[in-house]
Amino acid sequence: MPQDGTAQKSPDDIVPPLSQRTFWGRMTNWNPYRTLLDFITASPRRQFIILAAFPLLWLLTQHLGPMLQMARVSLLESYPVAPGVQEHFTIENYLRFFGDHIFWMPFFRTLTFAAIFTFCTLILTYPVAYFLARHVSRQNQMLMLLLLLIPFWVGEIVRTYAIMILLGNTGAVNLALKWLGLIERPIPFMYTSFSMGLGIVYLTALYMLLPLYSALEKLPKSYTEVAADLGAGAWRRFYRVTLPLTIEGISSGCTLVFLISTGFYATPVLLGGPSTTVFAETIAGFFHYAGDEWPTGAAFAVIMFGAALLITGLFQKLMKVLRKGDTK
Amino acid sequence: MNRGNRIALACVYWAFVLYIFVPLVLMILMGFKDSKFIGFPIRSWTLDWYISIFSNTEILFTFGYSILIAILSTLISVIIGTWIALLLEGRKFWGWAVTFGLMVLPALVPGIISAIAFRIYARWLGIEPGMGAIVWAHAVHNVPFVALVVMARLSTLPKSQVDAARDLGADPFVAFLRITLPYLVPAILGASIFCLLLSFDDFVRSFFLGGYEETLPVLIFAMLRSGMSPEINAIATIALILTAAIGVWAERFTRRTNKESQP
Repeated sequence: MPQDGTAQKSPDDIVPPLSQRTFWGRMTNWNPYRTLLDFITASPRRQFIILAAFPLLWLLTQHLGPMLQMARVSLLESYPVAPGVQEHFTIENYLRFFGDHIFWMPFFRTLTFAAIFTFCTLILTYPVAYFLARHVSRQNQMLMLLLLLIPFWVGEIVRTYAIMILLGNTGAVNLALKWLGLIERPIPFMYTSFSMGLGIVYLTALYMLLPLYSALEKLPKSYTEVAADLGAGAWRRFYRVTLPLTIEGISSGCTLVFLISTGFYATPVLLGGPSTTVFAETIAGFFHYAGDEWPTGAAFAVIMFGAALLITGLFQKLMKVLRKGDTK
Repeated sequence: MNRGNRIALACVYWAFVLYIFVPLVLMILMGFKDSKFIGFPIRSWTLDWYISIFSNTEILFTFGYSILIAILSTLISVIIGTWIALLLEGRKFWGWAVTFGLMVLPALVPGIISAIAFRIYARWLGIEPGMGAIVWAHAVHNVPFVALVVMARLSTLPKSQVDAARDLGADPFVAFLRITLPYLVPAILGASIFCLLLSFDDFVRSFFLGGYEETLPVLIFAMLRSGMSPEINAIATIALILTAAIGVWAERFTRRTNKESQP
């Protein structure tokens, strides 16, 4: 058939130029498109403004907006402001925090717990990351890391529930201990700071593991070999070479885990008890009702976010100083 | 490093694997227990809990509702996250660092504070609690993850490819659609899966912004507060299998495409 096609060709149906045949050709020759394009690309400055306008608007209204509005509400006397009434700004909501120990106790408890849990996560995952990065062949590394990533995809609530089943009075741990003859009556693990800690470490472990792993993986093996050749023992090699050179991973892992741990709400509610109330529960309490307590809740959220940022900021500064001191 | 150390570290690794997996395996097993009472030992087994879920339209609706929210919020996050990445990667402009800081902000705010801030802002904007509010909050929260993943991929795109397209007469828009965008596809797909899972698993934002309909994590939470039952295990197991399977598939997919695109 193609031979016939060439034979019957008449001057009327000349193949249109390439720019008319393809989708892209037709699009770029379409007049409205050309006008729009000429308008956009008239100057590099205009091109940049059109690229940047929407993202900047989004960042200001959606990323920054909620935080600013929370800060504003935290300073209001009442919210929502009744129609026709002038807004009143006050720091009363912040002062309420210091006035009652049922407010600042959970606050300090949250920060202490978060710090302890972060430290536990670090101690637990460092050897795991070290083993993966230094003692496993590259091919198996990916497989063994993927194995650890699977539960990471499972949600917070499901994993919290799994811990409840593990630690309950008729849970697996108590059953195993009884079977081994170590205990007669079940140990009440649940609704204590222990069950809460185990749950939170369980939820955050991989946020620590991944930064540690990538820091350790980047560290060339030759460094520790050189140290060994120069006569450094295993402990000294770790303390003087590996640890200082992975401080960046430690610093980012700890920051991430600390921030996440302070923000948990469901896990402390389900795994903790009355003696382990965290600040997230205190804040949430103000939002269960229609809204007259919202300014106080907002003020408490601002206090908590400020404290968390301050602590992680100081921690990162400290880590930077440590690193500088070691490379001297 | 000597052998003893190596073996000790291997033991720590496998102990950690046990710590990660045992609670989930136990939870799955409990969903097959033939008794209303949660606890060990399990003496007889049943599939009744799964059958009761699949005949419960309310629970099936919750699954669908959560999946719909995940898909809608992911679509928004992916478009906006990619756009922000295009603005930030490989460009120097006044206020770059501040813009980058603003971009990652939603990912760094602790869960409860982020939920409260969205709740207050939604009220101020006049968004009623419910599906729209949840989709919006999930979308904003997930934008940084998309932007970071796309930025990483974009930084490996050889600049010469776009330049070549421009030299051959492509305008900036066509060069973007035919060179840059296809190159970004693996990153965008990977980020979408990540967003889907984050949204599907999210509890705290859905809890504070939800209306009368509950998303799956909120439903499980509400059920847990009124007592444990093997039915919850069955629901949680289905959610677990769904998320873990998608997660593993995405992980393999991104690794494969990363390997292929390496020179």
